This record gives sequence, structure tokens and C-alpha cells, in this order.
Amino acid sequence: MEFQFQLFGPLLIHTLSYWWVIIPSIFLGLIVGAIPGFSAANTIIILLPFTLVMDIEVGLIFMVALYCSSRMGAGIPAILVNIPGTAGAAATPLDGYPMTQAGRGQQALAMSFVASSFGGLMTTIIALLAMPLLAQVGYYMHSVEMIVVMLFGISLIASIAARDTHKGLIAGFLGLMIGSIGTDVVYATPRGTLGFLELYDGVPLIPALVGLFAVSEAFLVIEQKSILSKKGLDAAPSVGWSATLEGCTIALSRWWHITWNSIIGLIIGVIPGAGASIASFVAYQQSRTYSKTPELYGTGHPEGLIAPEAANNGVTSGTLIPLLILGIPGGATAAVMLVVMQYQGVTLGPTLFQLNPELGYGVFMAMAVTYFFMILTILPLARFMTRVTMVSTVYLAPCIIAFTLIGSFVPRVYMFDMWLGLAFGIIGYIARKTGYHVAAILIGVILGPLLETYFLRALKMSDGDIMVLFSSNLGNVLWLALFATFLVPAGIQFKKNRRLDESREAPNG
Amino acid sequence: MSKTLKPTRRKFIKAAVATAGVAAIAGSPFKSAFAAKFPERNINVIVPTREGGGADRNLRTFTSVWKNYLNVNFEPGYFPGASGRVAYEVYMGKREPDCYNLIFGNMGPELLNWVVKKPTFDLNAYLYFGQVDTDPGCVFVGAKSKFKTIDDIVAAGKKRKLNVGTSRMAHPASIGILALGEKTGAQFNLIPLSGGKNTVAGAVTGEMDFSVLTSGSVAAAGKAVRTVLIFDDKNKLGARLNNAPTMNDHFGTKLPPLLSARAFGIHRAAIDKYPDRFKVLQDTFFKVFKDPAFKMAYLKAKGDWEYVNPGGVKECEKYSKDIAEIGERYKSLLSGAPKKK
Repeated sequence: MEFQFQLFGPLLIHTLSYWWVIIPSIFLGLIVGAIPGFSAANTIIILLPFTLVMDIEVGLIFMVALYCSSRMGAGIPAILVNIPGTAGAAATPLDGYPMTQAGRGQQALAMSFVASSFGGLMTTIIALLAMPLLAQVGYYMHSVEMIVVMLFGISLIASIAARDTHKGLIAGFLGLMIGSIGTDVVYATPRGTLGFLELYDGVPLIPALVGLFAVSEAFLVIEQKSILSKKGLDAAPSVGWSATLEGCTIALSRWWHITWNSIIGLIIGVIPGAGASIASFVAYQQSRTYSKTPELYGTGHPEGLIAPEAANNGVTSGTLIPLLILGIPGGATAAVMLVVMQYQGVTLGPTLFQLNPELGYGVFMAMAVTYFFMILTILPLARFMTRVTMVSTVYLAPCIIAFTLIGSFVPRVYMFDMWLGLAFGIIGYIARKTGYHVAAILIGVILGPLLETYFLRALKMSDGDIMVLFSSNLGNVLWLALFATFLVPAGIQFKKNRRLDESREAPNG
Repeated sequence: MSKTLKPTRRKFIKAAVATAGVAAIAGSPFKSAFAAKFPERNINVIVPTREGGGADRNLRTFTSVWKNYLNVNFEPGYFPGASGRVAYEVYMGKREPDCYNLIFGNMGPELLNWVVKKPTFDLNAYLYFGQVDTDPGCVFVGAKSKFKTIDDIVAAGKKRKLNVGTSRMAHPASIGILALGEKTGAQFNLIPLSGGKNTVAGAVTGEMDFSVLTSGSVAAAGKAVRTVLIFDDKNKLGARLNNAPTMNDHFGTKLPPLLSARAFGIHRAAIDKYPDRFKVLQDTFFKVFKDPAFKMAYLKAKGDWEYVNPGGVKECEKYSKDIAEIGERYKSLLSGAPKKK
């Protein structure tokens, strides 16, 4: 694949001329991303009849803009009311929501918007320039390597357990057990479904997500007057535009953090089958591991919010690379985009950039322009969005429950899923009341089935030889990196303790 | 002169009988069958695979023309879980048998599911009535694979067990590769990758030594892959499938064509209850194939016109019987159960 740099300038100007498609698509994406159960993929499916009659260029720009902004949209309710719109935003409320409770919701939204837009923009540029190289990632990241990547995310349970070992591990294992419900990936034998057909596909993510986070939160906030803490309530009325500016400054001052985590997202996005949920947990875990203040994570730490938001937007550009270069969609939205492109008679794969370079590069150009418009159009709205946190819980809690239960229903249109959302809400409520961390349960539910899929595949490929886990060079490097993530914090802690001891001894000596 | 309105006894009896008849029909459960036009509302279609695959493409292309004959839209719902098993259980257990609910299945793999493990519903409670296409299975490698021909694969398979990506264990193409192993003595290890896209990715990225899949999906993958064997009587796509030989020609086997046939299915109860509705569905179904708009849409969506193969209840029944028979032969290998001695 040869680069045609001369196309970039005219393409940029050409794409900018489609602002009338991009801006409405951004707002639509923001809305569907923010509503649990909706996503870019099912919105594109719903709007497929319109997309198919559109000119291919307009259709593509519409889909790309919707895809990018829905990712950002999913973070808004996660930050403001502890409802992640999609599994990709599941790590966002870990630090985003405590910021809101402390009256820093506007600041948190601004940080999330900046991290999402700049992370997305940066990875789009990287993807554009390093497309052939990145397309190679799929050739090396196989089942064994993916097992280790999953373990990076799952090891977050261990970090959570560090605060209360027993409760953290119990919650994590409960999540993993719930995640193993459904049919096995090899012979499709149902396990733990209790005879419910609705569980054959495994525990659906959205009811688990909204139940554990949002419904349980709604049950909790009923007991209070506001979702804001006392300090937050005192601070909220006086918050002005300066909070948005402050959020932007905090995020931009951590530009390296945005870059690093969005690249994690980009690389995970390139791997067919991997997605934003993996990327956001891996990014959060990495960010925490190499932070100088890991103890602040989970309490409203800016880096804990920036990492998953930058990563899940990095995934967006990543999933399109295998789609455009190999013709293999990297995720659900990319798969739907493939249908549209096939309908329009566009052949994806290596020949796309030879036969139709304007379209191939145009996808990434549309993405870059979308991120540019996103920051301009969405950032000023942070101040107004935050007002939802001022609503009394008398009104807010029922709204959260109603919206999230509808969200549980939407993806599969099963009444069963609404009951499941409620059941997870009760589990989450009990967990919170008794000091168990719902995030640890959720990590197990989200990453457990993926880990099992790759693990069983690797074992089947090796005829049951467990040593297959150490059979690849790249896999072994990743194993070392995984061990390092356990050892480095322990080493840092050891050093800190020693310095502390020395400083204590110094005056005496 | 005006006509007299005085009722006679005969007139009265006629009017009373007519009124009673109208009232009886209006109040009877057959009302809709007699009076209503079919279809009055959109038709729901359950699809046992994910969005974006070959079945989805065929469904959308076919229904984009079929809807013009029925004057309603089709609303697909995707239930890919447990190799399509969930879709059938949902269809049979939760959808009304009223001809407004159809299933668009991939007959081959889904009938093999029942061979491996029986569903909870009676297998005779539904039937396929509209076959759209028949797509033969094939063996293919990634463009960067060291294997160039099927002979390279067989030779390597005699030295070590090769990992073979497949969409699902119970798939006609999986049977094809097992038959090849049986014929040549090469060893193959089937790895289910959940769906056509993943199966192509398995071969392209080199995680699998090679993959097996329906050839239409493989042809759609273009230059990223290279086809080396077809499980059919003839390579109908020629150069688009790299002029790969057929199994029977190359190895002298007498294997029946191992096809995936995409077809519309319906509750048998719906046919019994609403025969007139079913007739409308059948008649309009066949009209689609004669409509030039269908061919245009199919080709535009990069479908392989050579595989379009209209079939009714009879053809579907024959296909079902054949695939079930061959499935029974390889049941132990497909289900992972030990072979009975």
C-alpha cells in the first residue's frame, strides 16, 4: 500500500464541506451513546434504509461521525449519574462519578470531552499514517496473546482487592462465575442457564452494566436528597464556565497520558474481536499501575477518568483498520458499516486504497474532522449537562430506574432483560451496602467470557496442552509485562516504605 | 311509480339469513382469514446469525425486492447465540405462528445442530419453504500462507495435526474437511471461531493453518484469501475462487455437495391455520427471482449470482434429509462425543 499524501489536503477541505452531515450526526451519536442499550451499531441498523439511499460518501461520513460521537456520548451518563451507556464506558464512572458527587461534574465532563476528542484525533492521525503497520497487529495477536491482554484487564480486580482482599476477590470471582453462564464456545452446550433460553447467549452486558451501576445507585440515592455530596452541593451553584476551562486545562496538561492510553485503545481496536470494553479496563489498569498516586484512583482522580475515555476513542479508529485493509470488521459497528459498503458495491480490502483511495483515506479524514467539530460543539454544553445532577433524587432516581430498564430491554427486546437489570440492581445494592466493589463484579462479567473464549480456543488448538500459553514470543513478552504490572507497584511501595522508615530513623539516629 | 317497501316473507327470510351469515363471519375466529388482506403489517424475520454476514446480506437483498410484492417491510432480528440454536428456540417458543413471523436460516449448519443435539421443540413443527441460494463449502488459506494447494495441506496434515478454523463445529464445510481427513489420512483439528468473519480472520491472520467456510463468504474476502478446494460438483465461481478443484475431482471421492442453503422457514401451525397467507408468501417469493431488480441488487451487494438457487418446500425437504443423513455419519466428531464402538 503506497501513501498518496497529495490526496490529504483536498480530502480535508472536501470533508469539511460536509459539516451539514457531521454536526447533526455528532448530536445524534451523542444521544444514542448516552442512552443505555442504544449504540452506533443498532442506530446505523435502524437507519439502514436511509443510509443505503444516501450517496456512499455522505453515508460513510454519517456513520463515522455517529460512531465517534456515540463513544463520547456513552461517557456522559457514566460521569453524571453512574450509568455507562455502553460496555466501553464501564470504566469511566470509576473516577468520573466520584468527581460529580464532589461537585466537579462539569470539570469531569470537560476532561472526558478533551480526552475523547484529542485521543480520537491523535489515533486517527496515527492510524492514517501507520495503517499498513497497524494492520499487521492482527497477524501477531492470537488467542494466547489475547489471554494475557484479558488478564491485564482482569488484574484490575486484584487492584480493587488490594483495598479489601477478601471482598475484592469474592466480588471478582462472582463476576467471573456470572460471566461463564451461557453456552460454551466449542460445542455450544448450555451452562448455568437455569433453563432460561434468554441466557443461552450468556448474561447480556447492558442489563448487567446498568443494573450493577445505575439501578443500584438509584436505590442508594433514594436514601439521600441529592446525588451530590454536601461539599458538592455547596460548590455546585457557584460553578461557572471556569470549571469547563479548568477541566480542559487538567486534561491537556496530561497530554502524554491521553496519547499513551489512546494508543492502547488503537492497538486493541485493531485486533479483530477485541473492543472498547477491554481497552478501557486495560487502559485504566495500566494508568493506575504506573501512576505515582495509585491510591487516588477510584476517588475522583482525573487520570482515572482520562485513561478509559482516551482508550475507548482510540478503539474507534483501530476497528476500522482491519475493516478497510483486510475487509475484516474489528467490531460490531464496523460490521454494520461493512454491510452498507457492500450494498454500495465497495470492495474492502487491500485493493480499496488502489481502486478507491479517496474513500479509504476519506474514512479517516471524516473521523479527524468529526473529532475537531466534536470538541467545538460539545464542550460548551458541559455546563448545561451538569445541571441534571442538581435534580432532586425524588425525581432523578425513578427516572434513572425507568431509563435504564428500558435500556436493558432495547438491545434484545426481551422482558427478561428488564428483570435481569433489576436483579443486578439488587445485587449491586447489596454489594455496595456491604462494602463489595461492583466494578470487580462487572470486570468479571465483561472480560470473563472473552477470556474463556480465547483460553478454550488456545487449549483446543494445542490438544489440551497448557504450555501453549507460553508458546509464543510475543505472548511471553506480554506475560513479563503482566508480571511487571504486579511487581512495579509492589517495588514502588517497598521503596516508599523504606524511605519512610529511613526518614523516621534519621532524627533518632 | 315507486316500488313498494312492504316486506314479503321470502324477502324477510333472505335478509335474515344474510344478516346472520355476515354476523357469524364477523364474529368468528376465521374473520381475518376471510376478510383481511395479507399482509397488513410488517413481517418479522428471525436471523440465526450476526449482522453483516452472508445470510444478512442475502436476506436484505432478497427482502428489498420481496417487500414490493407484499407492500410491507421486513424487520430482521438477529439471534446468533449457541450456533443459531437460540434463534430457533425463540422463533418456535416466542413468536406467533401467524405467517407474520418467519425465520431466515442457513439450513446446512442449523440442521446439523439438531443432529448434534435435539432442540426443545418438535422438529416437525417448522419447515423451510423458500430456498434463496445454495453456497458450497470450501477450504481456503490466508494470502500469506505457506500452503499454496490442497496437496500442500494434506502433506502437512500427515506430519502434524493442522488447526482448521470453522464457523461452527456443526457446519457442512466442517464435514467436508473431516471427510478429506478420512480419505487422505491427514489430521485436522476443527476450531470453532463463531461466525464467518472470524473464520476468515483466523486464516488471514495465520492463527489457523487454514479455514473452511461457505465459498460465497470466501469469495467476498477477495485477495486476502486463496481458495484451494471446493466441496461441490463444480467450481461455479472459477477464478473468483482461484480455480480451486473440487474434492471429488481431485481426490476421487463421491461426496455429495456440501452446501449451506439459505432459506425462509415458517411454523407448520401457521400454514395449517392460514393456508391462504402461506400461499401469498409462496407465490410472491418465487416472483422475486424473476424480477430483474433482485439480480441487480444481488450483484450490487457483491453476491454470487451463480449460487442463487430458488427452491420450494420440496427442494428444502430433500436438502434437509440429505444433510441430516451426512451429519449423522460424522456426529461424534462434530459433537466432541467419543465414537460409539
